[in-house]
Amino acid sequence: MSSHLALNEPSSALRLTFLSVVVIAMFLALLSRLWFLQVLAGDRYAELAETNRVRIVVTEAPRGNIVTADGEELVRNRPALTVSAERQRLLDDAGEPRDEDAERVLDRLSILLELEVDEIVERLSTRRYSPFRPVPIAFDVAPEIVFSVNENRELFPGVVAETLPVRTYPQGEMAAHLVGYLGEISEDELGSEEFADHRAGDLVGRGGLEQVYESELRGRHGETRYEVNAQNTVLDVISERDPVQGHDLVTSLDADLQQATEELLAQGIETSRSFTHQASGRNLPSTGGSAIVLDPRDGAIKAMASYPSYDPQEFVGGVSSDYWEEITDRDNDTPLFNRPISAEHPPGSVFKVVSGAAILQAGANPSTTVSCAPTYEVGGNTFRNWNTQHEGPMTLTDALRRSCDTYFYELFYRQWQREQQAGGAEAEILPAVAESFGHGTTLGIDLPSERGGVVPGREWRQEYWEAHRDTYCRLAEEQEEGSYAQRVNADLCVSGGQWRGGDAVNTSIGQGDVLATPLQVAAAYMGVANGGTVYSPRIGRAVVDHDGEVVREIEPEVHSQVDLDDTELRAIHEGLRQVVHHQRGTAYGAFQGFPLDEIPVAGKTGTAELQPLVPFAWFAAYAPADDPEVVVVVNVEQGGGGSQTAAPIARTILEHYFETTDEDDIEFEVGPEYND
Amino acid sequence: MEVPVYGQDRAERILRERVQSRWAAAYAPVRHLDPVLVLSALVLSGLGMVAIYSAKLQALTVQGLPATTFVSRQSIALLVGLVALGIAAAFDYRHLRGYGAVLYLGAVALLVVTLTPLGTEINGSQRWLILGGFQLQPSELAKLAVLVAVAALLHERKGEPGLPTVGIALALVGVPTALVFLQPDLGTSIVFIWLTAVLFLVGGVKARYLVGLAAAGVAGFAAALRLELIQSYQLQRLTGFLDAGDPSLAQGPVFQTRQSLIAIGSGQFFGKGLFEGTQTSLSYVPENHTDFIFTVVGEEFGFVGAAVVLALFLVIIWRGLRIAVLSKDLFGTLLAAGVVGIFTLQVFLNVGMTVGIMPVTGIPLPFVSYGGTSLIVWFAMVGLLLNIHMRRF
Repeated sequence: MSSHLALNEPSSALRLTFLSVVVIAMFLALLSRLWFLQVLAGDRYAELAETNRVRIVVTEAPRGNIVTADGEELVRNRPALTVSAERQRLLDDAGEPRDEDAERVLDRLSILLELEVDEIVERLSTRRYSPFRPVPIAFDVAPEIVFSVNENRELFPGVVAETLPVRTYPQGEMAAHLVGYLGEISEDELGSEEFADHRAGDLVGRGGLEQVYESELRGRHGETRYEVNAQNTVLDVISERDPVQGHDLVTSLDADLQQATEELLAQGIETSRSFTHQASGRNLPSTGGSAIVLDPRDGAIKAMASYPSYDPQEFVGGVSSDYWEEITDRDNDTPLFNRPISAEHPPGSVFKVVSGAAILQAGANPSTTVSCAPTYEVGGNTFRNWNTQHEGPMTLTDALRRSCDTYFYELFYRQWQREQQAGGAEAEILPAVAESFGHGTTLGIDLPSERGGVVPGREWRQEYWEAHRDTYCRLAEEQEEGSYAQRVNADLCVSGGQWRGGDAVNTSIGQGDVLATPLQVAAAYMGVANGGTVYSPRIGRAVVDHDGEVVREIEPEVHSQVDLDDTELRAIHEGLRQVVHHQRGTAYGAFQGFPLDEIPVAGKTGTAELQPLVPFAWFAAYAPADDPEVVVVVNVEQGGGGSQTAAPIARTILEHYFETTDEDDIEFEVGPEYND
Repeated sequence: MEVPVYGQDRAERILRERVQSRWAAAYAPVRHLDPVLVLSALVLSGLGMVAIYSAKLQALTVQGLPATTFVSRQSIALLVGLVALGIAAAFDYRHLRGYGAVLYLGAVALLVVTLTPLGTEINGSQRWLILGGFQLQPSELAKLAVLVAVAALLHERKGEPGLPTVGIALALVGVPTALVFLQPDLGTSIVFIWLTAVLFLVGGVKARYLVGLAAAGVAGFAAALRLELIQSYQLQRLTGFLDAGDPSLAQGPVFQTRQSLIAIGSGQFFGKGLFEGTQTSLSYVPENHTDFIFTVVGEEFGFVGAAVVLALFLVIIWRGLRIAVLSKDLFGTLLAAGVVGIFTLQVFLNVGMTVGIMPVTGIPLPFVSYGGTSLIVWFAMVGLLLNIHMRRF
């Protein structure tokens, strides 16, 4: 007997079939959703489940130290007593105190730490720290505060007193520009490959060696992965990785020499301000300066000073905006600015070793004589020597000794004519030779923000003009008709792309559009001193691990090779030696009393004009002249004549280096102004 | 005329009686049980206990309680359920028509009592009566009572119910639905409405009435929204699952759904293995031994395990619908169809809730979820199906 329903009531069977279809549709809906969740999107949900159950607690790795060649610590870590608080226990998601209890805790902290509640909330809210560890509110608190917190735990739920490592500078301000400082990693950096191992809130090197050697100094943070349940109770340790301390950086800096160089530069600059600049009748402004001491045999920096300086300690725990303003303000001569590598100035006469080498490579003979007249005419313009007296015929050696401008004017005017006739078929000699001396290019020192300077020439002028022509033409239209500025701009608008004889003449004595950093000048004299090799200057010497084992030697690298034969080199060496040794040498006066018979010094003065400012004083030297082991370059911005301020400062540094004078007796004495 | 041989008639009678008794034995109700149906229910209950054990293992261990706490309680409920199955199958289901009124009035009375201070409130919802240490959920009983009452009514009208019958049926459903809604228990209210729809469909209510009622239902729901009869939190629960993908709401009302999705999704194709589910053992899914038990299946046994469980549900539905077709009277058809209807809806609402396509309502998963009342009632329902199946001749 089969279903009588089916026989007697066909509509009921139909209705049950309809019900079956609905049921099947429901199950298909469930099954397809499960397919989506578990098969198509399963990977993503598996990841989410993993994030759910795993909490990562990070242990910071102590950052490596930076030490001098003789083992003095320039920067290291120091434990700082810190009061921290768990953000989640005090603040809600909107960054407000989460309840009345939290408000009371914040009030108590405010009284204890002498900080406004708002300030505490702000510090807690910073994204700099992982939400799973307490956020530091106050660094370097008094031990009494730590005791109060620890002994009254019930009053400070979620607050911990702990010891955290912070950067400290045992040598104070010394080498501040070289060491650099730390700052919070930026969003952009977090996304980049270079910072793949970093997390939000990490401190990274900003400026100086801290920045360049970031990857080796920072080490690797430790990480413990806990399994937690829905109540955040830790059930198990899944994995544990100890922090790896960062490596130390050993530099080529000599702590004692660095200290002395900074002091002697500062002393020289500050003393020079009480002397008069005769042309303007004012005291020398001497607004800032640089001093570099390097080893010409491998390019190792032994000391490098930038004046004025700043206190890196101010950056610990985050620099205040006031201090940042102060050290980046032009009115304060921007102390944060690392002048030796970032300041581009006209090099003036110190450039003459480069232009001298260029003229030799262009085919001139070192013994060719050119008359050192007081003036030289080019295209109706008169170019003057610094000395108004006629000095007679001179070789390259003589011209270097006397820093004779007209010698270079004449040779470079002839060279310009030759190149003009070749009409671009022949490469310009000066920019190429200058580059082999490290000018017009960065040298690749292991510091950030190195500038490359400018060595102008025909091509450079054309490009520069094309980029700026619109400005010249606009100014020519706007300015008062017939005024000097208007005429100059009108001329530049039409023919500013021309490389004229006057430009070539000006460039030959390191004026005009030539710009160089003190480091570039030092590099050029390194090339002269060691017979032709320009190394990339280096401060880092080796990366060593915590036990002192060398991880990586930082080898000297050759930046470029100078192409001069022995006769040519000898002519330049002799000229530079005579600058100091010869009675008529421009730095003879500045080195009066220096034991030149023991330590022969070769050098070159420079007095770079930068109208309307007081000239920039330069002195570049190497010693001992016959077997150089050190190059010293000093630049004083608006310091007057090279022989007046720069050479005397360089002399004091050499006195310190060679210990020719008792340390306490080394004293800056201003030199004669009118010797370039 | 031949004289009948003495004894020939008797021999025939004996032969006839022997045949009759063979037939009678062949048609004896007890010989027409449905083993597939019962076995599926038992397998599901067994799987449920494994899942309950896994869900609570770590949490109970942490609290220092025996890991079998919930499973042993569930086992007792299973035994009671089997007794209930026996009782529900033993008597002839047709007698239920006579007791329909008593059953119905009793259930309504219990629902009323539940709403008085005698009822027990848990999680803001007054659904339980505590009787001698046992939690009783009268709404579970009311499902059965409403089913019997409406089926009996429609049976009386011989499958051609007119408007008055429909009206009476709606009234019969309306009272317990309203009482359950007041608890508030939105899920069970929906079950009542769905049950009515299934009974009307199978009971022969004219198609145009069905369409009209559906339209009225939609209009009524819209009106309830406008008059704010449905509270905002209920509405939020109804729509919240749609936001489950948004992690910023991780701590809000959709937390449960989100964690449920993570649990099931992370099970992937083959599952993480028994006791290996992290979402399960670390209690990331709240109520994962009761309403969210399906997350344990999904996480630890993967798509394969979830599909097997759904298949077992389908087997029960198939057997139930077969019984509805085989039943010898409309009352039996309606009872079977009603049981299947409630069962299907509960599975759909519950699994749909855990996979985020249905709102979060407190509907347990039949046979699998932890909870004595539900398990006992569902075995009684299976008994009722058996009852109809056995007496189909």
